[in-house]
Amino acid sequence: MRRSRRERRRERATLRALTSSALALLGAAGKASADTAIDHVETSYSFSTYSEDKLESSKAIPGGERNRYSVSTQQLSLAAPITDWFDMSMQLTHETMSGASPWYNSADAAGTPIQIMSGATIKDTRNDLGVHANYYTDNGRLGFGGGYSAENDYSAMNVGTDGELHFNEKNTTLSGGLGLSFDELTPTDSDLYKLRPTQESKQSYSGFVGLGQVINRRSLIQGSFTYNWNKGFLSDPYKEVFGIGGSGQRFFADDRGGARHQFAFLVRYNRHVEETESTFHLSYQYYIDTWGVRSHTAELDWYQNFGDAIQIAPHVRYYSQTAADFYLPYLRLNQQPQHEMTSDYRLSAYGALSFGVKGEYAFHTPWFRDIEWRANLSVERYLSSGDLSLKSVSVPAPGLVNFTVLSAGLSVVF
Amino acid sequence: MKRLIRAVRALAIASLCSLAGCTTLGHTWDDWFGEMKLPDFPAFDEYTESPKSYVEIALEHDFLVRVKPWERSVLARHDMAWDPDELEAARRTHTFFSKEATMPGGSAGGGGCGCN
Repeated sequence: MRRSRRERRRERATLRALTSSALALLGAAGKASADTAIDHVETSYSFSTYSEDKLESSKAIPGGERNRYSVSTQQLSLAAPITDWFDMSMQLTHETMSGASPWYNSADAAGTPIQIMSGATIKDTRNDLGVHANYYTDNGRLGFGGGYSAENDYSAMNVGTDGELHFNEKNTTLSGGLGLSFDELTPTDSDLYKLRPTQESKQSYSGFVGLGQVINRRSLIQGSFTYNWNKGFLSDPYKEVFGIGGSGQRFFADDRGGARHQFAFLVRYNRHVEETESTFHLSYQYYIDTWGVRSHTAELDWYQNFGDAIQIAPHVRYYSQTAADFYLPYLRLNQQPQHEMTSDYRLSAYGALSFGVKGEYAFHTPWFRDIEWRANLSVERYLSSGDLSLKSVSVPAPGLVNFTVLSAGLSVVF
Repeated sequence: MKRLIRAVRALAIASLCSLAGCTTLGHTWDDWFGEMKLPDFPAFDEYTESPKSYVEIALEHDFLVRVKPWERSVLARHDMAWDPDELEAARRTHTFFSKEATMPGGSAGGGGCGCN
C-alpha cells in the first residue's frame, strides 16, 4: 500500500527527532559541560606567525633601530581516553623569537619620551611541554597537570590541580583550581650590562573558583575569581630606566619590587541561536593588582556556521589598563629616584583594540578510517595606543605595540 | 494585518455570543460533559512523593529551567565550549599575557616566560 506523502513526512520527522535526541545523549559528553572522559583520540597542530609593526619614526631616534619582534609558533596537542573515566592530554609548543625589543625611553628636545630599542640581536627559542590528566566521577572531575617551559635565558616549571563539581542535575557547576610556578632567569650578556643580574628566580601561587550555570537549552553563564601571588624577581632584566638631568644622564635598573598580588573577576556567557546557526561568546574581565594596575577586558566572538562544514568566526576584543604606580616614561635627575620604577610600556596606561576572523572547514573521510578533520585559517590584528584608553593618557608610552598574527591549523579526531 | 483580522473576528464572535446569551435568559443549559467518562487518575501520592518547597518550585520555574540530558544537543555543540579551539586559546592567552599587564582569569598556574 502506498503511504501518503504526509504520513511519510511525519515518519521522517519522528526519526529525525529520535536521532537528534540520541545524538543529544551522546553529545551530553560535549565540552561545554565536560563531565565524562573524551571518547576519541584527538590531535591538533597549528602554525602561527606573530609580527610586530615597525616603530613609528616619531617615536624613535632618527636612524635608530625601529624594527621589532617576531615569533613563529608551532603547537601540537594530543588528547586520548585511557579508560571510560580517565583521559590524558598533552600540548607541545615550539617558538622561535627574533628581532629587537624596547630597552629604555629617552626624551626629545620637547621632553616627549622616545623609545630606544635593543639591537636586533635577540635570537631565542622556547619549548614548552604541558600534560594534563582528568579523572571523572558521576558528578565531577578532578584534574592534575604540570608543565615545563625552557628558553635560553628563562625556565619555568608549573604544577596544578583543578576540578569540577556538578549539581542541580548538572545544570550548575562549581569549579576550582590551584597552581604553582617556579621560574628561573639567567639573563644573557649580564657581564656586558652591569645592571643585569646573572641569575634570579620567581615563584607564583595561584587559585581560582568559578560557578557555571546552564540558563536554558541554548545559553550558559560562568563567573570566576582568580587570585595570583607572585614573589621573587619580578622585574624585566632587559629593561632600564633612563635618568636625564641638567648635570648629565644615568641609567637605573628596572625594579618592580618583590611581590605582586593579582585579582581577576571574569564573566563569560555563551548563547546559540538555532534560527541562524550562530553562537555568540561574550566575556568581560575586571582585573586589579597591588602594583596599581586596573584593567577591563571585553570580548565578543561570533561563530557563524554555514551547514555542518563551514564556520566563519569574527571576533573583537577591547582592553584598557591603568599604569602601575611606579611607571615613569623616564626619570628627571632632579627628581628623587624611586625605590621601584619601570619604563616598560606594558605597565603604562593605554587601551587596545584587536579584531580578527577565523575560517574553519570540517569534513570527514568515510573511505579512510572515518576520520573527522577540521582545518582552519585565522588572522588577528592588535592595535594599542594611549587614545584607546578608557581614561585619557597625557603621555602615552612610545613603545606601545601593534601586531598581526596569522595562523593555520589542522585538527583530527580518530 | 492578520492579527487585526483575528482580533476583529474574535470580538464579533464574542458579541454574537453575548447577544445569544441575552435572548436565552432563564434557559437552563445542558450538562454537555455529564456523560463524558473521565480517565481514572492515580491517587495523589502515587506520583508526588512529598510536597515541594518554595525553593524547589522556584527552581522548576522557566527562568531557571533544569535542562535534561536529552535536551543538551545545543549545549554540547563544539562552538558552545568555553574555548572551542584549545591551541588558539592557549596561544592568544600567552600573547596577551606577554604584552599586557593583566593576568588571564579562569584558570590557575601556567608557565611564565621571559617575554620581551
